[in-house]
Amino acid sequence: MSESENVEKSVEFPETDYVEDGQNKLIIKCKYCTSKILDKKSAKYITQEKDLPLMQQDKNKEGEVQSEKINQFYHVENMYTFENIGFTHTVANHKYLSCADCDAGPVGYYDMDTKHSYVALSRVEHI
Amino acid sequence: MAKKTYDLLFKLLLIGDSGVGKTCILFRFSDNHFTTTFISTIGIDFKIKTVELRGKKIKLQIWDTAGQERFHTITTSYYRGAMGIMLVYDITNEKTFDDIVKWLRNIDEHANEDVEKMILGNKCDMEEKRVVSKERGEALAKSNINIERAFSELAEAILDKTAGREADADAARIAVERRPSRAPPARACCS
Ligand SMILES: Nc1nc2c(ncn2[C@@H]2O[C@H](COP(=O)(O)OP(=O)(O)OP(=O)(O)O)[C@@H](O)[C@H]2O)c(=O)[nH]1
Ligand SMILES: [Mg+2]
Ligand SMILES: [Zn+2]
Repeated sequence: MSESENVEKSVEFPETDYVEDGQNKLIIKCKYCTSKILDKKSAKYITQEKDLPLMQQDKNKEGEVQSEKINQFYHVENMYTFENIGFTHTVANHKYLSCADCDAGPVGYYDMDTKHSYVALSRVEHI
Repeated sequence: MAKKTYDLLFKLLLIGDSGVGKTCILFRFSDNHFTTTFISTIGIDFKIKTVELRGKKIKLQIWDTAGQERFHTITTSYYRGAMGIMLVYDITNEKTFDDIVKWLRNIDEHANEDVEKMILGNKCDMEEKRVVSKERGEALAKSNINIERAFSELAEAILDKTAGREADADAARIAVERRPSRAPPARACCS
């Protein structure tokens, strides 16, 4: 699967508006309480297709996790780069990321093997 | 690009008997936004928070722990790397207050010897069910305080130490009582 294919699929957040020098151009905040998650230019912009559980799960569909495919992420190599963030307990080699102040999430995930974190552009506010 | 974006990193632990509200301190999710949430079913392991103290940018990594692990089973590995411990009791539960002494002894035995300790009386919104009197609490407690302040003060105490300033030997610990937060804590938040 080629990179360019992915980019074409995911024009929700045009790189010209959100990316500078391959990094997040803007400050990243929580959508719900505006808690600051990342400083500007502190994470690498990447495209990859990844399933992320929905922030709002349907109560009627108990027992199954509903998720969506997400293509655009900010890649954070060192977890201490985050300004404010919560890490869940581990599920299948991942921890999920949530707002440190209002606990909304997942806004992304953490990979236990690489110890890298990924924040979904569509799950956060850009200021 | 490899510039460090902070000055100091402090690892903090929440410790105390089961049911005192440690998990609720870390996970304050309110049902306002969502009908149900994926995050609440998994639970929070730790949080990273950034505070600025005396012109220094400090990262706090705050870990939840499980209270049912009894003091005697808790050993050094549990406390590894911890620079600050928030010791929590429930003002509506006598035993959790009495057990603070045991937790302190356990910390003395197993944690790093200059770990900074803070004692926090929790569930202050349930004043009518209070059994640990304010007077007794205040023998340890300094003032009413909200949780953000409490973490900040704990961090400041650690900062004093790391700054090489010798903390007075008598000021062994700080203690505070948690001020009820603006919104009444959702009782169901961690059940
Ligand atoms: N009224 C009130 N209830 C609280 C407060 N904090 C926690 N609770 C309730 O106390 C119960 C236990 O809270 P937890 O946060 O799960 O306690 P814990 O210290 O994490 O317990 P363990 O994980 O077993 O060690 C839950 O039913 C909470 O809703 C508070 O500030 N006020
Ligand atoms: Mg707990
Ligand atoms: Zn938030």
